[in-house]
Amino acid sequence: MRGISKHFGGLQALKDVDLTLQAGELLGIVGDNGAGKSTLIKVLTGVYPPDEGGIVLNGEPVRIPSRRASIDLGIDAVYQNLALVDYLTAPQNVYLGNELKRSVLGIPVLDNSGMRKNAAAILRERLGVALGDIDQMTFNLSGGQRQAVAIARALIQEKVRILILDEPTAALGPEESRRMLEVVQRLKGKEMGIVMISHQLEHVFELADRIMVLRRGRLAGVRSTAHTTRQEILGLIVGSIADYQADAAVAGAGVSVAP
Amino acid sequence: MSVPAIAAGRERRQPAFERYLNILGPLAMIVAIGVVMAVFEPRFFRITNIRIILQDAAIYMVLGMAMTLVITGAGIDLSIGSIAALSAIIMAIFIKDLNVAVYAAMLMALIVGVGCGLVNGLIITLLRVPDLITTLSMDLVFRGLALVLAAGAVLQRFPEPIPAIGRGRILGDTVPIPIVIGLVVLLIGVFIYRYTPLGRYAIAIGGNRESAMLSGINVRRNKVYHYMLMGGAAALAGIMLTGRLNAVQATVAEGFALHTIAAVVVGGTVLFGGRGTMLGTLVGVILLSMVTNALVILRMAFFWQLVASGVIIVASVSFYSYLERRGKGGSE
Repeated sequence: MRGISKHFGGLQALKDVDLTLQAGELLGIVGDNGAGKSTLIKVLTGVYPPDEGGIVLNGEPVRIPSRRASIDLGIDAVYQNLALVDYLTAPQNVYLGNELKRSVLGIPVLDNSGMRKNAAAILRERLGVALGDIDQMTFNLSGGQRQAVAIARALIQEKVRILILDEPTAALGPEESRRMLEVVQRLKGKEMGIVMISHQLEHVFELADRIMVLRRGRLAGVRSTAHTTRQEILGLIVGSIADYQADAAVAGAGVSVAP
Repeated sequence: MSVPAIAAGRERRQPAFERYLNILGPLAMIVAIGVVMAVFEPRFFRITNIRIILQDAAIYMVLGMAMTLVITGAGIDLSIGSIAALSAIIMAIFIKDLNVAVYAAMLMALIVGVGCGLVNGLIITLLRVPDLITTLSMDLVFRGLALVLAAGAVLQRFPEPIPAIGRGRILGDTVPIPIVIGLVVLLIGVFIYRYTPLGRYAIAIGGNRESAMLSGINVRRNKVYHYMLMGGAAALAGIMLTGRLNAVQATVAEGFALHTIAAVVVGGTVLFGGRGTMLGTLVGVILLSMVTNALVILRMAFFWQLVASGVIIVASVSFYSYLERRGKGGSE
């Protein structure tokens, strides 16, 4: 993604942001509330069209005018709110929008048993999650189970090239967070690039190859995890380190020491 | 490969009777009405009367099938009575005044119905007018057009198969054809709900519109499909009604919308969308037709039917809201 800008009315949500991602890499995105993390993700997944800037995938410029288009390009996301439907079962949620079909007398019908079988297998084997009753409604599931169902939705795609995880541990307790990180660890390095947004710096440091910092809709910096420190990243988040990205415009704003 | 197991969810299974409350509740009411009628008016149970009830229910089953989908998708259609009237009037004019072949005229009625639904759907999705306001307004438009076209006339005596569709019988003169039509439509409804993306997406759209959108579902297009199906169903109901009376005028089918919504909601489809049930709608339409018929048999004025429909909607919605507050859905 190059030079992405997006504003809502008078609010400049993103200004000239670049993002690169290699296959097999995990890029962490951090930043304060309102820094533009979720907006950037929604641009990448076709929910919001960018005002400026372009996206290049495997060397080719692409347009992503809709969510459908992003799915077809192999860009999938687990949104912060998970985007699940409470009154559907886990398999119905996993395949929502991408249902398996089979032909009965030439009429394509939903392959409910096939979806149930595949979803259970993905949850169990790739995500290590057992639901007990696979046919229970999603509102009955725990936070970790719901998170797993949301991730499973991305994994059923033929080829996910880019998987975006928006705050995968935000709604989870410490125990479930730990397991979710193990799940992400296992997904890493399988030809797909992963973008993980998180408020938890320790999780980002544990998993990310590179860390990208957004501040007030602008790129505050990108660091290789191996060559940076928590102090430096925190500094970029709150803006106390002089930023090479021409940031004079916001100078004078309440800069304070990280908590 | 060793895998971490994510903690099991809260084990909270609803007791079976609560899960089927949407069926059992109306069934209990059906039994109650039966008992009351057995005491006050045993003629209620004559075969001819049962047949009348089911014939009436069949028309509402056709409407209720589509309405279940519309309401599940967080919509509502108050214009179905007018769509039925307009479709039937146009069909009648084609047959009586323009001498068009009867099947072509019936096809025309269905096209008009689907077209009215398309207009509703486009206004709702493209002009972003709320479903309720759109269909309430279009109800006036369609009714007005029907009145203009009919110019006060009562058109009657139609060629077959229109009377047969409304009141014919098969299987040795025992089973009314409208009941067969109602059952076929019910099966189509169950099929749509369980085996097609249209049904599943309606649940997603009504349950969580943003999730549906983020899943790549074209919400607007699906909403338009719901209203087109509803319009087509209304036209079919209009044809059935025309056949039953073997006559039609522009003022028919006034109470279709309220009666159908009442039946759907009684059956356990949630009025605010996200959950619906075709079998519940079947029980709902039978219950409503029984109530209507009982009021007639007891010689209550027709207008009491309106009172009954209204009371039943309010009672059902408040009952299901009560269940909801207790954290247990009354229906799937």
